[in-house]
Amino acid sequence: MKNKGLGKTITTSIVKYKAFFAVLVMLLFMLFPRTNFYSVFNILDMLNSASILMVVSFGLTLVILAGGIDLSVGGSLVMGGILTILSMNVMPMWLAILIGTLSGAVIGTINGYIIVYHKTEPMIVTLGMSIILTGIAQELTDAHPISAEGLSFMMIGNGRIFGTIPNLVVIMLVVFAVFYVILRYTQFGRNLYAIGGDYEVAKYSGINVRREKAATYVLAGMAASFAGVLLSSKLNSASSIYGDQTALTVISGIVVGGTSLAGGVGGVGRSLVGLLVFAIMENALNMLHVDAYIQQVIRGIVIVAILALDSYDRKRRREDV
Amino acid sequence: MNKALMKAVKEYLVLLLVLGLVLITAVIEPKFITSGNMTNIMRQFGPLIMVAMGMTFVIIGGYIDLSVAGIMSLVAVVTLSLIDPIGQVGAIFVGLLIGAAAGFLNSLVITRSGAMTQAEGLFISYGMSVLYGGTALLYTGGVTNHLSYIESNYSLFTLIGSGTVGIFSVSFIIFLFLLLILYIFQNFTYTGRAICLTGGNKTAANLTGINVNRTIIIIWTISGFMAGVSSIVLFSRVTTASPVLGKGFELNAILAVVVGGTSLKGGKGSVARTVLGAMLVILLSNSMNLLGVTVYMQNVMKGLLLILAIWLDNLKGRR
Repeated sequence: MKNKGLGKTITTSIVKYKAFFAVLVMLLFMLFPRTNFYSVFNILDMLNSASILMVVSFGLTLVILAGGIDLSVGGSLVMGGILTILSMNVMPMWLAILIGTLSGAVIGTINGYIIVYHKTEPMIVTLGMSIILTGIAQELTDAHPISAEGLSFMMIGNGRIFGTIPNLVVIMLVVFAVFYVILRYTQFGRNLYAIGGDYEVAKYSGINVRREKAATYVLAGMAASFAGVLLSSKLNSASSIYGDQTALTVISGIVVGGTSLAGGVGGVGRSLVGLLVFAIMENALNMLHVDAYIQQVIRGIVIVAILALDSYDRKRRREDV
Repeated sequence: MNKALMKAVKEYLVLLLVLGLVLITAVIEPKFITSGNMTNIMRQFGPLIMVAMGMTFVIIGGYIDLSVAGIMSLVAVVTLSLIDPIGQVGAIFVGLLIGAAAGFLNSLVITRSGAMTQAEGLFISYGMSVLYGGTALLYTGGVTNHLSYIESNYSLFTLIGSGTVGIFSVSFIIFLFLLLILYIFQNFTYTGRAICLTGGNKTAANLTGINVNRTIIIIWTISGFMAGVSSIVLFSRVTTASPVLGKGFELNAILAVVVGGTSLKGGKGSVARTVLGAMLVILLSNSMNLLGVTVYMQNVMKGLLLILAIWLDNLKGRR
């Protein structure tokens, strides 16, 4: 232990900060081909698109930290957008946005109640929930995209502060700050690490494990449906298919960022970097004019590689002990 | 006596519920029991039951296979494209091989990375599904190909798709044959019995001397192979091979397994139950169609059934 080789230290830190290194490698690589990747417009545009999934990831990170999983964030995202646009026809915009955002809280409460208070498998309950939500979303919109009337709603997702920085990036940073503070400086946030680390120990330490674990689902649902409001505002439309790949893309991003699916390790900062990996990858592939189907194959390979590495890392640690 | 009855009700609640719905439909909507509708139902249940039978082994083994959708799409487009160059028998053979190989590849990633939990298996197989689906799209350039454009002889596919022997369709006979093999495999072979133990508790299974990795490889390969068979049966019937052919099959297959009463916790279940489950899922969607319930609301119901099933599973476990 004393004379740990330099090589091993480097390897360990690369594994630990793999997302950061992946971002670095991709940024370096993009210096060579002649593309518009390094233009202010493209970088801001990339961050703008990534912001939405990042907002989803902050809530989901809390769930995963506490040892749970939520596959219904895609459904919450879709519902947030659809409910906002539908309610905007009959009420002021701010109220519609509030309703859209709170719909995720309702969904999260149901998830949390079934999972935590009835001790069911989170993966399957939320998988079922996502099927239900997609069905409801299809029923509400007749499976067609719906669009909002008026430009004011659209301006939220497409406006720029000082004419340069996109609103969505600023909103994402604000949400990030909120979740960062929750995780870092509140009793609730610190408890989540304990719950994810060892549920039983946390329980006997006097933490109200059930309430706090259920709360993570509420926050995740809310973050997701808020992201849905932002997405609908950006595209000026809502559709039942927008959330199809959300959950698994975001989970892959969170895992590559360094929050383990086993729970107890990670943070929202890591998720932000993890999702940046996917954002840069997608943008770079588009810039290099890679065929859309090849992009799908690459995405599949990357997701499998990330998850397999995460499992492998855990297996190695199990065997070390 | 009363206790035994309660136990039976708990055990088969989902099944009874679905059966109840189907019976209600039969009463409300007389069209349900016409021979036209029954033929319609018989035709549908081939592909879904086949995927679900393969999925049963994966679920008993403590995993969930989301990659069947991608495998089905890939097998369909490759098989169709190979009929002209290597003939129909060769094409079917290669198609089945691709299915099994894809399942094998899944299991390889899972065993190599040591992904022992259900969640890890689910996510990895989802990633694999994206990969297989992407390959299928790439292979055809996103184009749907038609069987009738094939220049060489494709009589075998016509036979699988719409042939009959007596009153039974050929796909039904294929299904019976596969059911027999899988039933014998599950109940009368060492490996088949080992799957239950592996799904129940991997560490304990390992200590008992069961080769856990080998068992995992076998169940995923079976699931991939069955997805391949189902894909060929399906595209023979619809006579087109779309690169997104398998979409949605994974969830319906999981639902069929669950409705049949196989525990999502692993370690318990059987292919025979899954056949019953798949039949009920098809009957359910058929009766919902007849009652005029939208496809969207049917999805909502499927989601509810899944949650109900896992909740009941849990009640059983707690006893």
